[in-house]
Amino acid sequence: MEGIDFEVKELVYRGEGDTGDFISFDPGRCDGCGLCVKVCSAGLWSLREGKARLAPRYRELCLECAACWEICARGAVDFSYPAGGTGVTIRFG
Amino acid sequence: MESWDVVVVGAGPGGSYAAKTAAELGLKTLFLERGRYAGEKNSSGAGLGTRWWRDFPEIMGKLPYLSSYRRIDMIVIKVVDEENRLRLVQGTTGSDRDGSRWSGSLDKGMAGASIYRSDLDPLIADLAVSAGAELRTSTLACDVIMEKGTVRGVVTEKGERLRAEVVIAADGAMSTLARRSGMRGRWGGGCTLVPQIDFVCDEDKLDAVVGNAEWCWFGPFNGAYQVNFRESFHLGAGKWLRPDWDTRPPDMLRRVMEIPAFQKFCKVVEARPREYQAHLLPWLKKPPRTYTGGMMLVGDAGGFPCPLDGEGIWHACMSGKIAAETAAWAISRGDVSEKALAEYERRWKASPLGLEHSFGPEFVEIWDHSIFDPELMKRLIQLILELSEIHPFSVLFDWSDDHVSCLNRHLEHLFDLVPEFSEFGERYIKPLGAAVSPQVVKKALLQAKGKLPLLRLLPDQTYLRALELLNRRLGSRLKEAAGR
Repeated sequence: MEGIDFEVKELVYRGEGDTGDFISFDPGRCDGCGLCVKVCSAGLWSLREGKARLAPRYRELCLECAACWEICARGAVDFSYPAGGTGVTIRFG
Repeated sequence: MESWDVVVVGAGPGGSYAAKTAAELGLKTLFLERGRYAGEKNSSGAGLGTRWWRDFPEIMGKLPYLSSYRRIDMIVIKVVDEENRLRLVQGTTGSDRDGSRWSGSLDKGMAGASIYRSDLDPLIADLAVSAGAELRTSTLACDVIMEKGTVRGVVTEKGERLRAEVVIAADGAMSTLARRSGMRGRWGGGCTLVPQIDFVCDEDKLDAVVGNAEWCWFGPFNGAYQVNFRESFHLGAGKWLRPDWDTRPPDMLRRVMEIPAFQKFCKVVEARPREYQAHLLPWLKKPPRTYTGGMMLVGDAGGFPCPLDGEGIWHACMSGKIAAETAAWAISRGDVSEKALAEYERRWKASPLGLEHSFGPEFVEIWDHSIFDPELMKRLIQLILELSEIHPFSVLFDWSDDHVSCLNRHLEHLFDLVPEFSEFGERYIKPLGAAVSPQVVKKALLQAKGKLPLLRLLPDQTYLRALELLNRRLGSRLKEAAGR
């Protein structure tokens, strides 16, 4: 049977304007558990040498769900919101 | 510095409804939205139940004119087995003994309505503006003004300081204001992540195949919901963000999308994925502290979504309304301290919102140990299928053998399965017995009495008094039913 599939980044819409930085990561607190890697729909986290690493281009790829902040028991991830009027636009929510 | 009676942060349904209520009560009200318009940032396409007609008729009356609206008359559960075969389709709509759940108009669905947040949120924000509240969009509140442990206003990212007698935080699951005021940090295991896909499709074909219904997919995977709109639908899944998280969120949806019945459905209605959305949804045994000096939390920020099904928009509007009413009451008394705002919790606990949350731990436990446990679901599906076979139509249409043998085989299998689930029932279903109202308990006992010839001679009151004395647990319920 013909399958249906999708690519997350092709199905996300964004407004214009500078979001500013809205995720901060403290490697000193990270214990390399990798949960941020698993919960991220956009695949923005990876593990390198036992520490998480956030994609430098996260501002233009992040879905703003904040799952990385919620899952991190060590408090290594802090999430605020992109600047007002910028970032993801949900058209069909 | 600007000064307001009430500043509401967030123009989702909870924030806008709070702003509307506050303005209607004569309070000078400002509400802030970080998106360019209300609803720009929100992604939980809404299935609104019939209680909306009772509580928010001014919203429901306007929905049929919005572009994503679909009337909903029933919820259809699709049960899929281990081999991805569709095994059972079961509808639920509820009965309507006194006509209170809907009026019979074709615009009013017997089970509710579906509407996009991009339609619903601007509608409620407009009602607030019409009531006299001021809306500022593209405005992010990033801190609270704290004085002597009490919230006195908010600070925007541009550094504006907005003073308020009372702040209502409706800024979502990861509420900046709740965190900045020190009320709480992460939810720590009580919050789910919900990935969701919007599919666009052919409206007429969706009418023909789905009609006026929402769908749910149950199987040996995390349950998935399908909210159907006018010419589109959402497929969503979710589970609690805990250390045992093992899947990429998009793969939770792919798992449902590989079910042949779902694929065929998509083909027939010409569906294609149009938008991917992901959001946090607090799904808690009970809301944590919902107020502090000068500030109240509403909607997702307060942890209010339903502990049984995760629906949160009615809960947001209810808590928003109660928070605004409490703000008016507190301001009129000149006391917005933490002690005074404890009134908020008293009020929401006494409302239908509080009644639903009074069984929060029991509701959450059931889900946590069934639908979110794929191994158990494999066996639970067997039980669901066997129970459905006892349905008169199933017995009639079972053609695997002569009907007498069929019935006996099903009963035998059911009795095999029951012991396996007796612990589940004892642990997770039995505690819900306490949710049955004393009036219903009394009714059941009197009906049972009528069936026993010897007891029939006993006057009702004597019989109920005897039960009251003999069984302590039953006794307290009967006392309550009799108003003693």
